[in-house]
Amino acid sequence: MLDLHEKIEDAVAEIKKHWDKTPHAGVILGTGLGSLVKEIEVEVTIDYGDIPHFPSSTAISHAGRLVCGTLAGLPIVAMEGRMHMYEGYPLKMITLPVRVMKALGAELLVVSNACGGMNPNYRCGDIMIIEDHINLMGDNPLIGINDDRLGPRFPDMCEPYQQPLVDRALAIARKEDIVAHKGVFVAVAGPNLETRAEYRFLRTIGADVVGMSTVPEVIVAVHCGLRVVGFSIITDMCLPDALKPANVEEIIAVANGAEPHLTTLVKGVLAEEKS
Amino acid sequence: MPIASSHYQQKIDEATNFVRDRVNSVPRVAIILGTGLGKLATHIKPEVTLPYDEIPHFPQSTALSHQGQLVLGTLEGIPVVAMQGRFHLYEGYSSSDAVLPVYIMQKLGAEFLVVSNASGGVNPKFTGGDIMVMNSHINLMFRRHSELGGHNAIPGSPDQPGTLIYDRELIDLALQTGREHNFYVHEGCYVSLTGPNYETRSEYRMVRKIGGDVVGMSTVPEVLTAHSLQMRVLALSAVTNIAKPDTLSETTAEEVVDIARLAEPRLTAIVISLLRTL
Repeated sequence: MLDLHEKIEDAVAEIKKHWDKTPHAGVILGTGLGSLVKEIEVEVTIDYGDIPHFPSSTAISHAGRLVCGTLAGLPIVAMEGRMHMYEGYPLKMITLPVRVMKALGAELLVVSNACGGMNPNYRCGDIMIIEDHINLMGDNPLIGINDDRLGPRFPDMCEPYQQPLVDRALAIARKEDIVAHKGVFVAVAGPNLETRAEYRFLRTIGADVVGMSTVPEVIVAVHCGLRVVGFSIITDMCLPDALKPANVEEIIAVANGAEPHLTTLVKGVLAEEKS
Repeated sequence: MPIASSHYQQKIDEATNFVRDRVNSVPRVAIILGTGLGKLATHIKPEVTLPYDEIPHFPQSTALSHQGQLVLGTLEGIPVVAMQGRFHLYEGYSSSDAVLPVYIMQKLGAEFLVVSNASGGVNPKFTGGDIMVMNSHINLMFRRHSELGGHNAIPGSPDQPGTLIYDRELIDLALQTGREHNFYVHEGCYVSLTGPNYETRSEYRMVRKIGGDVVGMSTVPEVLTAHSLQMRVLALSAVTNIAKPDTLSETTAEEVVDIARLAEPRLTAIVISLLRTL
């Protein structure tokens, strides 16, 4: 784990060759949400393959590049395409970009994902502001010898998603007439979708939505001291007693349909960072 | 008995022989001293102290407040072997490495495993500084023991159907010690997660809902190994912080270590009671 520090420095050095601003925020764009990038005033894009120690992205509908520019008037770096545990990447590699964002100077991490809704009050296409999470991935990106330069051995997790940011996102949603909930995201490794019994189990332990990403990045963000705001788009409803087979094309279509809402919320949250 | 791979068995044998060459007594009790509880070792009359880095194949300790040495000696006149400093999965050890010392201590002769840990209480009846004797666990560590061969070789698989992992007589002894010394000992279920981050509020709620009383990042791998080796297990948890998910405050490692120290005399009393019955 102690080589992580050098890997971060290598990646930062390469990025700074192309873009020398200090980002206020890092943004991770999940499944079907990649075209939020269109809202960014792009200054530089760098393929993951050109950044030392960055993995290539293989998942469906994911590009794989770092976009540097301005969003809502703030300098940001955005990951277009993310890596997932189910692709076989180690969590340390998946979360390296978060540490790089921090090392570039970011204070805030904005994460988004597509997820399955288990709370029966949610509907397909709704947005959930992540209030808390449960890690059931069976792995943790912080396992290994701790590098105290990067963060504490035992990071506290009582508020990984800052309550003021949750409140801010909900207020913007009300103002813009967007359906937004706040709830608990449970992360599983996947890649299979859950069985009906697993949905019942995940609901019973207190989760509102389920997905296969985000939690590793958030754990690392908390470890390295970034504030976090997280958005889930509910792309299919997973109600165990009325379950239909999931369709990846439909999921992506729903994600794309909800994207303007997500864009509004992300821009709104960032715009209030300035004040 | 579990069948270790020949490579793993060789590691166990070499380390055991190394220790045997340096000690005359045959330990009856193996003790693993967890977070903030290392001072129990000061009660041991040491015959020999072996730093981990001198013992072949022994992993090295990195966790906060942990030293790293194997102490062999007598406690209340009973020969014991104690691990001062242990191996957590969150440090990056494989399950196989983390439990290697248990195989070694059993091979040295230990029939009992006494293990302690610091945990976060999710049972609202618990208070910081309380002791809980484990009567069960829920393993949420998702880690496999990679160096065992044979389909029936998984540690913790019931080699003797009907035997309980946590020895009822030893649990009762711990409860009785609490009454005799006028402190409360709870009995309950320990949920193990790898960590290293402390739990989120939702994770604490989950732990409570599925039947856990406390949550921690250790003990279960060692206990499963000891049970598979037919050792009698006494597992004690020092409840160092109370997780109230609805009014959660920050947990710090320093705070955990401080409160674990308060629990130390109680834990010591229980271990001494056990040794006096032998």
